[in-house]
Amino acid sequence: MDTILVPEPEESLPSLSVSNDQGILQWISSVDHKQIGIMYLWLSVLFLVVAGIEILLVRLQLAIPNNHFLAPEVYNQLFTMHGTTMIFFVAMPAIFGFTTYFVPLMIGANDMAFPRLNAFSFWTTFFGGSLLYFSFIAGGAPDAGWFNYAPLNEYNYSSSPGIDYYCAGLLFAGIGTVTASINFVVTILHYRVPAMSLKQMPLFVWMILINSFLILAAFPSLNAALAMLLLDRQLHAHFFSAAGGGSAILWQHLFWLFGHPEVYIVILPIFGIFSEVFPVFSRKPIFGYSMVIGSGIAIALLAFGVWVHHMFATGLGNTVNGFFAASSLLIGIPTGVKIFNWLATMHGGAIRFSVSMLFAIAFLIEFTIGGLSGISFAIVPIDWQLTDTYYVVAHLHFVFIGGTLFGLLSGLFYWFPKMSGRAPDQRLSRWFFWLFVTGFNITFLVQHALGAMGMPRRVYTYPNLPGWGVLNLISTIGAFLMAGAVGLLVYILVRALNKGAIAASDPWDANTLEWTTTSPPGLKNFDRVIPVKSTRPFRDYKRPEDADWKRQEVAYTEKPPDIDITQNNSHGE
Amino acid sequence: MGTLLFQWHADPFVLLMVITLIYFHYWISKATPVKNRIYFWSAIALIGITTCSPLHFLGMHVYFSAHMITHVVLLLIAGPLLVMSIGPNPSAPMLKRISAFLYKRSWLAWLAAVGIMWYWHIPSVFDGSFSGMSGFTPMPVLHAGSMLLAGILFCWPLVGPVPETHIHPLSGIIYLATACISCSLLGLLITFAPINTFHHYWMAGSSMNGMLSNPWGLTPAADQQAAGLIMWVPCCFVYLSGCLYLLRHWFAAKDPNTGLEPSISLTLSINEHE
Ligand code: HEM
Ligand SMILES: [Cu+2]
Repeated sequence: MDTILVPEPEESLPSLSVSNDQGILQWISSVDHKQIGIMYLWLSVLFLVVAGIEILLVRLQLAIPNNHFLAPEVYNQLFTMHGTTMIFFVAMPAIFGFTTYFVPLMIGANDMAFPRLNAFSFWTTFFGGSLLYFSFIAGGAPDAGWFNYAPLNEYNYSSSPGIDYYCAGLLFAGIGTVTASINFVVTILHYRVPAMSLKQMPLFVWMILINSFLILAAFPSLNAALAMLLLDRQLHAHFFSAAGGGSAILWQHLFWLFGHPEVYIVILPIFGIFSEVFPVFSRKPIFGYSMVIGSGIAIALLAFGVWVHHMFATGLGNTVNGFFAASSLLIGIPTGVKIFNWLATMHGGAIRFSVSMLFAIAFLIEFTIGGLSGISFAIVPIDWQLTDTYYVVAHLHFVFIGGTLFGLLSGLFYWFPKMSGRAPDQRLSRWFFWLFVTGFNITFLVQHALGAMGMPRRVYTYPNLPGWGVLNLISTIGAFLMAGAVGLLVYILVRALNKGAIAASDPWDANTLEWTTTSPPGLKNFDRVIPVKSTRPFRDYKRPEDADWKRQEVAYTEKPPDIDITQNNSHGE
Repeated sequence: MGTLLFQWHADPFVLLMVITLIYFHYWISKATPVKNRIYFWSAIALIGITTCSPLHFLGMHVYFSAHMITHVVLLLIAGPLLVMSIGPNPSAPMLKRISAFLYKRSWLAWLAAVGIMWYWHIPSVFDGSFSGMSGFTPMPVLHAGSMLLAGILFCWPLVGPVPETHIHPLSGIIYLATACISCSLLGLLITFAPINTFHHYWMAGSSMNGMLSNPWGLTPAADQQAAGLIMWVPCCFVYLSGCLYLLRHWFAAKDPNTGLEPSISLTLSINEHE
């Protein structure tokens, strides 16, 4: 009989480094949620570097007017691959990495509901990314932008196979995304430790639950559109070609029906991370636990009612534009609610300015700027002026970097000691923070001005108009500063893995179950789980006399004592 | 404009329906709190406005968008108000039986409501219903009544008279969210449908005379888009408000797990994959 012995992890604790006493095959065959989470995260770092290099080339080309460093065709491929990679193969895998790793730990489970499906999800994402990049050697990468508009994406206008690879790669990754979401939903609903009611679930887990439903509702639209486009290109169907009776605008609808929810898909989990980070580093419970959940649900539902704001310039008419301008203005409200939740959590707290918290605070500022630019072109005439200029580029990077990436970095510095058992160098990490935030603002603040001055996005060079050259040069310098910072980050991580100080199992005095395990957690997460009676079970456990649930019990069973201020508050001890 | 304000038309069948509703209301709930009476009479007022008033006239003869407003009001406001007017735990056994039935089959309520909504907007049914409206026919009452019925059925598992038969608030959120998506899809189809898909209003412009043919000067395209968008965007907000209401309700309810239970010393993790 021919059996292949697949090495199962026995002793080795999955740490962050890929080297392992049983070799690479053990990683490939793993169905352990922690190992798969780590692979997601490394995949994301790999693609972050690749997509970063792509955009550095683009920024070099734009550093001076009338530059001929890159040919237009190459330029188009590079910015397309940059955007597509960052969204589908950096942001999504990073979020899924933290989710796969920490959701089971936070709810007291030993693995995901479907471990093999979990591995499947990761590997389809991996192959999706590989397929996308294979296009470079198969005749040219896709070059129609990350949103890949029709009819430019049709065979007549893009006859190189790049777009086919775009479709196939994203389809693969999309399937992995959907299966992963199903896995998350089942895990969260079914494998919580029995004592943990939904009302005590960590907010990160709540946001993942909501987000998974959002993914299940949004991704079919993208997957269908990709399949239709492949049919158009390979079998000469006519879904998106007007000449054959199809409709080019249909692509935009299908894409943005997915695409607007997608921008919330990459921000809701981040809201979850911050809802863990702010309370821990402010030493206070989150302000308005139920409000955070409610606004999360509101965001998820509203995400489907605003997508036409990406299409204000397509001539749908004033009636349509008016309705969607109104709903786009409204979607700012639940996000604003969350910002106030976090501010109120910090208010009066004993704040510790760890690197994780620094990113959280920077997020509050940068994300608000991004939200405000978003609100500004929810107003139709303003959008007509600014659409397809660098103003949009500035907006989307303020929300993606100032929002999503800052959140991921905050989560990374928060959870890194747990995942690796090592502590990253504090001083270097602070250097990284300041470099990265400075570089980011230098790069993108000026793009608001460029956009307002009318510089179109996605054009490979520009004439030497007053101010354009300087501002673009500043932007390029900022980009290289950010690149340097990312290099420093990789150095910090690798150094910490090799010779970082050993991390305690609960270095932040945190609240949730993942911190009750060793750092890194053992092969089997839990034998026993501490009692869960509030949203901060670990804190209750560490401070039984001051446990949250005791206070709740008082609130439920007794009328709160009437406090008489004239008696100098004799109820306090 | 003046003439428009005088366009009140009472339909005998609709009057009959309203009288039946009033009769049932006072029969079911003899000693209802004032709150429920207010719900009930608001619902009746809304039914009156959507079936007899100038809004109804506009909806019948002039504007698709006005027609859509009547749908939304009947389905999402009047229907739920009627259900909420019954008051908790009525004595009538029939209501208990309905509650028990719909509790087990909430998907049926969902499907009935969504089905009725979609059915009336199939283009041929839509146009057909208008040609059936002239003269002495039960068509108006069928139309308004079925919308109302859809609204009643739809919200029954959420706010029905027997609280024990309400579905779990979180299931309720999914119930509403999926209905919202179906509603958005229908709205979207109407918004972007070719302009002559629904013939009735396309033709209406030419057949009416003078001021009343188009008092606000909407183009047929804008009118149809507004109709679709009313079903799409504001409806979404109604469903969303419902979701937030349910969530608040859920958080306000006492949960046996939050601290009131005697402490369990150590809880075993149930999930083992080995
Ligand atoms: C306050 C809420 C927001 C509003 C009102 C808003 C509004 C808009 C509008 C109107 C556009 C289209 C601009 C154009 O192309 O002419 C846009 C683009 C974009 N938004 Fe937002 N936005 C908001 C928040 C966000 C968030 C939170 C994210 C992501 C996390 C995001 C990501 C994007 C992206 C990626 C694009 C560019 C898509 C592209 O053309 O490539 N936005 N936003
Ligand atoms: Cu959007």
